[in-house]
Amino acid sequence: MSTGGYISAVGHAALIIWLLAGWGLSHDPLPFQVTEVSVVSGEEYEAIVAARTPNPVADAPITPALPETDATPETPAPTEEAAPAQPQPEAAPAPEPDTAPEEVQPAPEPPAAVAEVAPVQPTALIPPSAAVDNASTTPQPRPATRVADTPSLPSPDAAVAPVEQAAVTPDTSTEAETVVEEQEAAAPEEATTEIVTEAEKPSGAVESSIRPTARPRPQAAETKPAETPAKPQTPAASATATEDAVAAAVAAAAASAPAASSAQAGPPMTGGEKDAFRLAVNACWNVDPGAEWARVTVTVGFSLGQDGRVIGDVRMVSASGGNDAQTSTAFQAARRAILRCGSSGYKLPPEKYDQWQNVEITFDPSGMRLR
Amino acid sequence: MIRKFLAVLAMFVWADVALAQSGPLRLTITDGVIEPLPFALPTFQPEGAGAEQVAADLSQVIASDLIGTGLFRQIPSSAFISPYTGFSQPIAYADWRAINAQALITGAVAVSGGQVEVKFRLYDVFSGGELGDGLRFVGSVDGWRRMAHKVADTVYSRITGEGGYFDSRVVFVAETGPKDARQKRLAIMDYDGAGVQYLTDSGTLVIAPRFSPSGDRVLYTTFESGFPRINMIDVATVGRQQITTAAGEMAFSPRFSRDGNQVIYSLSSGGNTDIWRTDLLTGQHTRLTSAPSIETAPSFSPDGSQIVFESDRSGSPQLYIMSATGGEARRISFGDGRYGTPVWSPRGDLVAFTKQNAGRFHIGVMRTDGSEERLLTASFLDEGPTWSPNGRVLMFFRETQGAAGAPSLYSVDISGRNLRQVPTVTFASDPSWGPLQR
Repeated sequence: MSTGGYISAVGHAALIIWLLAGWGLSHDPLPFQVTEVSVVSGEEYEAIVAARTPNPVADAPITPALPETDATPETPAPTEEAAPAQPQPEAAPAPEPDTAPEEVQPAPEPPAAVAEVAPVQPTALIPPSAAVDNASTTPQPRPATRVADTPSLPSPDAAVAPVEQAAVTPDTSTEAETVVEEQEAAAPEEATTEIVTEAEKPSGAVESSIRPTARPRPQAAETKPAETPAKPQTPAASATATEDAVAAAVAAAAASAPAASSAQAGPPMTGGEKDAFRLAVNACWNVDPGAEWARVTVTVGFSLGQDGRVIGDVRMVSASGGNDAQTSTAFQAARRAILRCGSSGYKLPPEKYDQWQNVEITFDPSGMRLR
Repeated sequence: MIRKFLAVLAMFVWADVALAQSGPLRLTITDGVIEPLPFALPTFQPEGAGAEQVAADLSQVIASDLIGTGLFRQIPSSAFISPYTGFSQPIAYADWRAINAQALITGAVAVSGGQVEVKFRLYDVFSGGELGDGLRFVGSVDGWRRMAHKVADTVYSRITGEGGYFDSRVVFVAETGPKDARQKRLAIMDYDGAGVQYLTDSGTLVIAPRFSPSGDRVLYTTFESGFPRINMIDVATVGRQQITTAAGEMAFSPRFSRDGNQVIYSLSSGGNTDIWRTDLLTGQHTRLTSAPSIETAPSFSPDGSQIVFESDRSGSPQLYIMSATGGEARRISFGDGRYGTPVWSPRGDLVAFTKQNAGRFHIGVMRTDGSEERLLTASFLDEGPTWSPNGRVLMFFRETQGAAGAPSLYSVDISGRNLRQVPTVTFASDPSWGPLQR
């Protein structure tokens, strides 16, 4: 046997002995974390849930106002829409997932009760801040008949209009020359951000909702007084025909001043100006996500006058993704959006008229289908 | 190299200038709103004596058809600025725009000699024109509800670009009596719950009626002999006949083929349940599945080339699709829970199903490849979806919990919106939505 064989044999033997002796297999255990777990029975769990959930019907997105320490009991009661459900001193009973969210309506609070019921902190299973964090990260959309980009709450005093506007009353102190349009307050209809199916409704079972820490501030106090505009305002969509005519005359007069400069192209339109225009049309583009035309993308073209109103009709430029009937319906919806939201003129920079005189808008509903 | 670069740069600059100087302002809009479209419907004008009541009733049914879809909202007549003057008068569009009416429906009704004549026009208020031509329907006074449904169907399809579903009927199981001694009869009604007629008496237990594609016949499962058997009933004559199926102990869960000449069903034989097809014209029976598991609830695709069904071959009930001639099936449901009662949409793109998961029942839809599963409802017990003729709405039945629990019919839009109960006189289950009537 050669020297190499000896060396190999000795080396292997040494390795085997080393492994058998256990030195090769012993090493420090890998670091790991130990979390202690305790078993909670069904009854205990119910109790915890009941204690953590002060009221299963409280709408998560509605953040109650901060406490107002100097408020007196005489202040008017909050309106029904703004009022979160009344805090209950005792732990609420365990919610029934099936019926509770459907049947229970938040009751309007009697003013006296609001003033007298002291806010009771929940039995401190979790710190209040944690509860608030938890609730705020998973807001539940409310079911509403309208689904829009920005959610809005119903406003009982305002007429429904595509665009929000403040109430304007004629101010006698303004100069005689200044024309002030009288207009009604208007707000978009109550809206939510996505379709809420029954299957997605919060069951109220294991949710921590924000406990109102104090009496909410009366809604009326938050409403800013209607500002008196110093310059003429364009009328709202709800204005009557006569008001339209007056406004048209006013707008024409206003537009006549920069008419000289409007011949030039001016600086390019900013992203903000384009976004404002796009948002204005958004609000009137009514998409039916269950319809077949919601697969069709249409591009429509139209011309605008210097007052921002559509001149002539809206025409189809191109379409893709549907048959004739679906394309036609998609076009009708696009045309309706442009005409409806532009009925009182789009607000566009007059010095850049050359750039927005002709407009082409592509309506792509593909992102709406699964909302 | 530098010259190339300069040339490219020049092209960009030129394009930029050209864009800035001519060319329209181009925008892309991807976010709209989803809301009911407001319409105005002044009560149809009665022409001549005796038409007032019909005109009022007709207008009311048209409005409730449209509102019931969840896609439309009626503007109350108290908001109207200009009173409606007449069917042939020009339209004051500005007045309708001012109250944000996007569609305007006007009409007139005349009654003479047991016949009623309805004329109507539909206007797109904001574009200031008529949407389609005016239409006229003539029919018997007794059939005024159908005429109202036809007007509403026309309005619906002109605005949405899809077929309507109001002039259609639903066959279902009407249930009376206490839960432990429930009597079940086959009944047929308008889609909105009106005009109920009973097809069978309460002597025998009947379940799962299914309309034929033309709406003239109904298949159902009867327990007359103690074991489930498939019967067919003629809707007009109420004449009944038993379908001769292949030999087996139990035959159930039948459905018509698209042409109405074939029936697919489950047949239980020797402890194994498989799907069979029987040709009603030739009497030929064909076995479509042969797995040792339970295969049931078959439903044809609209083109008749495929069948979706329920099988527990994987260990729990799931949905599968196979060719209409049988053979290899592919599984399409992969979510948690158990899936059953699949029904292929008339549009062909979706399958509706019942899902049971975590102690709750759901009605849901998924694409035919199993993607985009969406649950539309949730309750103690939801079951048995059926499609509206245009594939837009699902009707199903919901049973309430407890000793006094009872079933009733519900409908929901495939977007998951607009869940509402369908009014029925008795308890009701197992709906099957028929085609649009001619």
